[in-house]
Formats: sequence, C-alpha cells, structure tokens
Amino acid sequence: MANTAAAPRSNGKGLWIALGVLAIANILIGMFLADRHVALEHAPIFQLPNFLHGIGVPGEFLPSYVTFTWMIMAFLVIGGVLGVRAMRAVPGTLQNVAEVILEAFQALVDQMIGKQGRQFIPLVGSLGLFILTSNLLGNIPGMPAPTANLNTTAALAVTVFIWYNIAGIRTHGPLKYLKHFCGPIPWLAPIMFPIEFFGHLARPISLSVRLFGNIFGEESVVIILLSLAWLGMPYLIWLGIMLPLSLFTAVVQTFIFIMLTMVYIAGAVEEGHDEEH
Amino acid sequence: MPDDKPTLIGQLARLSTVGLTLVASTAIGLLFGYLLDRWLGTTPWLTMLCTLFGIAGGFLNLFRELGILKRP
Repeated sequence: MANTAAAPRSNGKGLWIALGVLAIANILIGMFLADRHVALEHAPIFQLPNFLHGIGVPGEFLPSYVTFTWMIMAFLVIGGVLGVRAMRAVPGTLQNVAEVILEAFQALVDQMIGKQGRQFIPLVGSLGLFILTSNLLGNIPGMPAPTANLNTTAALAVTVFIWYNIAGIRTHGPLKYLKHFCGPIPWLAPIMFPIEFFGHLARPISLSVRLFGNIFGEESVVIILLSLAWLGMPYLIWLGIMLPLSLFTAVVQTFIFIMLTMVYIAGAVEEGHDEEH
Repeated sequence: MPDDKPTLIGQLARLSTVGLTLVASTAIGLLFGYLLDRWLGTTPWLTMLCTLFGIAGGFLNLFRELGILKRP
C-alpha cells in the first residue's frame, strides 16, 4: 500500500528534476557553446523566377505567398481530379476521402443555409479546403502560409462579399434586395440605408483581418521564439506549446471563415423569407 | 431561419465578428466620408455624418449579434 502511494509521488518529482536538469543544461549549452547569430528570415524552399515583370510585379522572384497559393491550388485541383476521375460504386481510397469531405460540407451547408444551400458548396468547399491547407502548410518550416498575408485573405473575403451579394440579388431581384437594407420602418429608410451599407462593407474587412491576424501573429510568435534558439529551450516550447496551438488555430480559423461565409449567404438569401410570413 | 439549433463553433464564429466589425465599420465610415469630402469639397460635414453612420452600423451589428434586436 505504502509502495503504491509513494511510487507516483517519486515519479512526479523525478520528472520535474529531469526537466530542471534539461533546462539548465540547455541554457548552459546555449550560453557557452551555441552560435548566437540566428537569421530571422530565410528564403522559402520553393521559389519561382519572376516572369511577370511586364505587368509590374517587382523583384527577382515572385512573392512567396503567390507561389504557395499556386502550389496549394495545384495540389487541390490534382487531388480533386484524382478523387473523382474513376467513379465506382465501391469507392477506392481517394474517392472515399473525396466523398467524406463532400458529405461533411453538405451537412454543414444544409444546417447553416437550408434547402438552397447545395448551390453554394463549390464556394464554401473550396474556401474551406484552401484555407485549411494553407494554414496547415504554415506549420512546416520553410513554407510560408499564404493566409499570413493580407492580400490573400482580402482576395478571399472580397470574393465572399461579391458572391453573397450576387446570391441575394439573384434570389430576390435587385429592388427587393436593396429594400432589405432599408429596415422595417419606411420613414427611417434614409438613415437605415447608410448604416446597413457601412455595416455590410465592414464584413469583408473583419473577415480578412481576422484570418490574417491570427495566422500572421502565430507565425510571428514562432519566428521570435525560434530566434532565441541559442537558449535551447525554445524548441521544447515550440514542440510542446506552439505547434499544437497553431494546429488548433488553423482548424478553428478555417471553421470560423466558412461559418461566417455561410451566415452571410444565409442572411442574403433567406431574409425575404421572413417578410412573406 | 435554418440555424435554429446553434452549434458551439457557429456561435464562436458569430461572436468573434462583433469586436472587429465594430471597429471596421467605424473606420469604413470615416474613410468613406473623408474621401467623399475630398471629392465634393464640403470638408467637415460628410466626414462627421459618415463616421456617425459607421459607428451606428457597428453598434447595430453588435446588438443584432447579441440578440438584443430581432433580426429583420
């Protein structure tokens, strides 16, 4: 009895002692032996020469977020084509994966938008897959996440903005859609219209800035942490804390982005539904 | 409305818009009014008006997301 009670306590103490010895050894090695000149930035592992000088892109190489956006696009397109190339009743591996992904998005869209939701699966699905892939790519050393750049996220958010407005106009017609901006009370319409207008213009900004800020901030923290690598400990902190945290951030930010896309589309498509009641 | 049983992640998504939209719509109003003023030459007035509209839009969104106002 006494043995079993004492065993965990001594084990716990041993763990702390081992961690302390490791930390002290790390710091000593870092202070006296390691190289302190750490390059904060290095070139990404994959670069394309700049062939777009003609339309005014500066620099010797293309910006890395553009290159990696193209890489992810190629990856997703090839994966999609391979997944559905030979459709069979008993699916193979790739077709199975494609079906699982498609069914997940179908369930999500059915729940959030409703019966009209199926037509938005191309938008929501490609946004989700692209953002998830690029967020996860940012965790591999040497590969920058394209979503850590405001240009990429702004392009995604502007696409969402244009798309949900077009969906609303196509569902309700232009006049009836504009009437939704004017509020329920007719004499308040001149005040309500600019208020709603600015509120809607703020949506793509908040979408893009949130995604950009989360991914860029996470990458910055990792860079600063690893610039202290001569202390030794940051590798442990990175592996133990930052890497799980940034995997979590990647998934959650993807979910938030496509959830908000679906909320906006549902708002634009469904608002007329309530007036008919 | 389709989302009658809100999920945790959906609520998280909607609530995470509140703060950013409050700031962004104010900034959009200010920028819009400033550009309109520079274009039309009516310097202080449209900036003030559009900033007020932007602030109101941010707060309208805030109240809507928090469920104080009913969605139209």
